[in-house]
Amino acid sequence: MTFHDQVIKIIPKLRVQAFALTRNRAAAEDLVQDAICNALAAQHSFIPGTNFSAWIHRILRNRFISDLRKRRDTTDIEDVPASTFASSATHEDTLALKDLSLALTHLPTDQREALIMVVIHGMSYEDLAEATNCAVGTAKSRVFRARRQLEAWMSGDLPTNDKLRLKVQALRESLKNNTSSPNIESFF
Amino acid sequence: MNGSKKHTQEAKTPTLENATMRDETPFGIWLSRGLHKLFDDIAHEPIPEDLLKLIEDDRTR
Repeated sequence: MTFHDQVIKIIPKLRVQAFALTRNRAAAEDLVQDAICNALAAQHSFIPGTNFSAWIHRILRNRFISDLRKRRDTTDIEDVPASTFASSATHEDTLALKDLSLALTHLPTDQREALIMVVIHGMSYEDLAEATNCAVGTAKSRVFRARRQLEAWMSGDLPTNDKLRLKVQALRESLKNNTSSPNIESFF
Repeated sequence: MNGSKKHTQEAKTPTLENATMRDETPFGIWLSRGLHKLFDDIAHEPIPEDLLKLIEDDRTR
């Protein structure tokens, strides 16, 4: 498989990583395109036979960090398009997904990215460490803390003045009141 | 008997030391399904033509 074939093959995974980092589809598409431009420009620095996946995921991550330093604006969950959620989901499923999506936005970026790359891509801790430029123990710790934090949030284990819980509560109430709209798309 | 009970308890409350890539606790399974619902659509979207063209142009350069 040539270098360019590998780039094309890995685009879906880059897109997921980009969305995990940016939380915004349009920004994720831009980030993937920019990262691929960087990878093409730096292709001669890639050593064939080494870990291509970790190499290009690292390029995307570095690009994200670089962009973040330039402009520190992130998008809140309300800007996530409705198509992010499975249209066939039931009302309760959609509520739970919305809660999960909202909770994800409150995780530290490195934890969210680590969790997504392990759960969605099935990436090993070793590959995750290489892709995110950290020790294997750090990679493992990020995934572990992300899971435990989400579990705490999703089970309602939050301080009473927590903004996330208040937002979730407000969202749930507005969903309950809007009986004529059975799915999440009515909120966008 | 006691060994299997202890094993079950450990599986329910993973620690950093015994955490595995696949979290088989009920919450871990639910979380995995939820994340797939949120992210699989993104992964399966068609690749934009202009991005493919960018790569193919570089290939033939």
